[in-house]
Amino acid sequence: MSTHAATASSSLPAETAAPAGASKALVVGIVGILLTAAGLFVPGNGKVIALTWLVGLSFWVAIAIGMLLLVMIHHIFDASWSVVLRRQFEHGLSAFKWLGLLFVPLLVATWVKPGSVWKWTNLDYQLHGHGTVGEDILYVKKAAFLNPTMLTVMTVAFFGLWMFLSARLRKASFTQDTDGDIKWTFHNRVTAAAGLFFTALTLTAASIYWIKSLEYHWFSTMYGVWFFANCARGALAIGVLVLLWLYARGDLKGILNTNHMHSVGQLVFAFTVFWAYISFSQYFLIWGANIPEETFWYNLREINADGFANQWKWVGMALLFGHFLFPFLYLLSYKNKIIHSRIKFIVICILATILLDMCYNILPALKDAHGDAKPFLSLNLLWVATSVIGIGGVCVWSYLRSFATTKLIPIRDPRIGECLTHHE
Amino acid sequence: MAHADTTVAKPAILAEVKPASLPRAELVENNRSFAWVTDKICGIIEGKTPTWWWVCFTLACALASFTVMGIVYLVSAGVGVWGLANPVNWGWAIVNFVFWIGIGHAGTLISAILCLLRQKWRTSINRAAEAMTIFAVVCAGIFPVFHVGRVWFAWFLFPIPNANGIWQNFRSPLEWDVFAVSTYGTVSVLFWYVGLIPDLAVLRDRFNRAGNKLRATLYGIFAMGWRGSNRNWSNYEMAYLILAGVSTPLVLSVHTIVSFDFAISLLPGWHTTIFPPYFVAGAIFSGFGMVLTLMLPLRAIYKMEDLITQYHIDCMCKIVLATGTIVGYAYGMEFFIAWYGANPYEGFAFINRAFGNYAWAYWIMIACNVITPQFFWFKKVRQNTAFVWVLSIFVNVGMWFERFVITVTSLARDFLPSSWGYYSPTIVDIMTFFGTFGVFSVLFLLFIRFLPVMPMAEIKAVMPQADPHAGHDHH
Repeated sequence: MSTHAATASSSLPAETAAPAGASKALVVGIVGILLTAAGLFVPGNGKVIALTWLVGLSFWVAIAIGMLLLVMIHHIFDASWSVVLRRQFEHGLSAFKWLGLLFVPLLVATWVKPGSVWKWTNLDYQLHGHGTVGEDILYVKKAAFLNPTMLTVMTVAFFGLWMFLSARLRKASFTQDTDGDIKWTFHNRVTAAAGLFFTALTLTAASIYWIKSLEYHWFSTMYGVWFFANCARGALAIGVLVLLWLYARGDLKGILNTNHMHSVGQLVFAFTVFWAYISFSQYFLIWGANIPEETFWYNLREINADGFANQWKWVGMALLFGHFLFPFLYLLSYKNKIIHSRIKFIVICILATILLDMCYNILPALKDAHGDAKPFLSLNLLWVATSVIGIGGVCVWSYLRSFATTKLIPIRDPRIGECLTHHE
Repeated sequence: MAHADTTVAKPAILAEVKPASLPRAELVENNRSFAWVTDKICGIIEGKTPTWWWVCFTLACALASFTVMGIVYLVSAGVGVWGLANPVNWGWAIVNFVFWIGIGHAGTLISAILCLLRQKWRTSINRAAEAMTIFAVVCAGIFPVFHVGRVWFAWFLFPIPNANGIWQNFRSPLEWDVFAVSTYGTVSVLFWYVGLIPDLAVLRDRFNRAGNKLRATLYGIFAMGWRGSNRNWSNYEMAYLILAGVSTPLVLSVHTIVSFDFAISLLPGWHTTIFPPYFVAGAIFSGFGMVLTLMLPLRAIYKMEDLITQYHIDCMCKIVLATGTIVGYAYGMEFFIAWYGANPYEGFAFINRAFGNYAWAYWIMIACNVITPQFFWFKKVRQNTAFVWVLSIFVNVGMWFERFVITVTSLARDFLPSSWGYYSPTIVDIMTFFGTFGVFSVLFLLFIRFLPVMPMAEIKAVMPQADPHAGHDHH
């Protein structure tokens, strides 16, 4: 295989040009962040900005975690077809340190103005008709877990672990490009084996701390798995977009073939079904048991106190159809997985619905005077957009910076030959 | 309609591609020929019945008679002969049912999902694993069928209009089980049989040549006129792929629905949202445990080390490690959320599991399902076949105890303390359950004796000789 690759035509430029958009992405990111920050000057908008920022962070952190998981899964399976895709994920992992930095405002807000993000960080927070958080037995029971110190320490630990694993995986992979030493492959397998275990635990804990605890009365053992499903789907969707972008630029012409698109499309399909399986199981078991300490979480997303349906009901429906049924039926088709414009369309849809899913899980924590979830269609969506664009701009900038420093594909990876000739 | 294609000029970076050397493990070792594979596998059937087989078969029949006696006694005396009493109305029967269904998972998983994932190492073990699936489903079915009490009315479970005007309760997950398990069983048999057809034709031809007309005719009937033509293979591949696609959601749905038997209720320890994927992971775990338990002795007896290589054992051990750790994650998550949820009943159920009357069962479960697989992190352990076999037994034991812990601990300490009790099985429970190992063994021994234990055609397809490039580096 190497012989074949070595004798390939050299008619295209010798080295991948560093994309010029890095600085533009950073500017977009900074503008988005500044616009979001400007929202803090709107009176009474603090919690809205905090939670929409959390939506943006959760969305991008989920994608980064997904990339980390997929890189580790690649190594543990000794996979071959995904070597080219893996390199793009390795660049994506560089975003963790910036995401960690962008999380700091939420931690600062928690300490400076307790309750401004998670109500349980303020013991004097008034609950609707139930006294304060500090008097709430359901909080008192879990106070050892849900408190500002633990939140801060755990969040630092989460990002610390993800950055550590990312750095190890990236270093080994990039170094192999130059020395071709097989030890880096084994090095990454060991990192992946241990890393998968710890990443599974930390992403679960992160989803509980950051998202589930917004309604700390509510509990579901499935929640970490739900977050994992979105992580993997998000990373794959972004991965497809990156591959298509590189192909359109000409970088991957002659490298990426139809079978790569088919394989990655199948994975997107598999995780579409997996997300549906997890989300359905959680909903169905809670609906079936019909006990108030669990159903209130879904009720909040369906009806108001007056018994009428609220907008979140339709968001839930949009998730059912947009996050599962439509992509499921669409991705059954072979052609829809391999024709670039078609698969691009569906992964953009999937990314949009992942964002919607994050909104569905986070934003109903914004309540009106009756304790009902504030409507989905509101000015809050503007702040969601600025947050997602702001944080996304920084992530793209980080990716492009990393991209410019290494080879386009892992040229000395032991499976790169199999990847380049990937076939059915 | 842009396609990524390979007809354009290659980018210059390809000139720099020099992969580090890391050869893939061979799936058939020692450069064996196609003829050797055929002789080896057919030889098991064609050769004289070995003495060990007769000894094992006799013992298995004797053991299976326990189940027969247990069932005969139950039918004549009533379900009361099992140790079921309020509040433990589900005891060993449901435990054994879930245990066997879980084992029945791995066969179709190996065949279908690993087929879709193009995991070529499946070829050496998939036939026996599929057989194991079917025999395990047979054993599983015994318990709910006889648990209905008047077994002659078991057909009422199906929505067939009957004289009593009874209509099934479709809201009950037990009714869903009827459809899930029967569909799964049917598709598993079909999948197994379709895979067998080319190999049955090989046996037909070999017996023909050997002049054994009776056996040639019998194998010929079941080979359905297979001639190995392109048309035959084309249809075969398509049927196999479709069945793999159909089986995959079935594999997941069966144990998901089995998990609903518990999770749809309100009982502390049962009603928890992670049950569906947790049960599926547990089933894969136990299924691979049983595959190792069965295949390692088979490998040793028939000297099939070149077909079931260390690589195969490594892969299976790693799947056991991964799924065992997922199961451990689920145990941990259940315990954590029982505390986090701050529901005193839920919290009590888990504290009671770990430190109550049944703590011994809980810690056996933890030791076998969470700690035992961690040995598979070490290459030396994976290379010690005897030790792997012993650990696989622990996995089987642990998974039975998991179902026992889930079922009995929650029921024995329900919402009404005045009804609390300590559940113990009766001798009929014990005999019926252990007898199913005899039933399973009888069926598996017959399978070894009369059907090819490995898919010859599929194994040949993953050998270097089947590669059109024949080991040369051209694509």
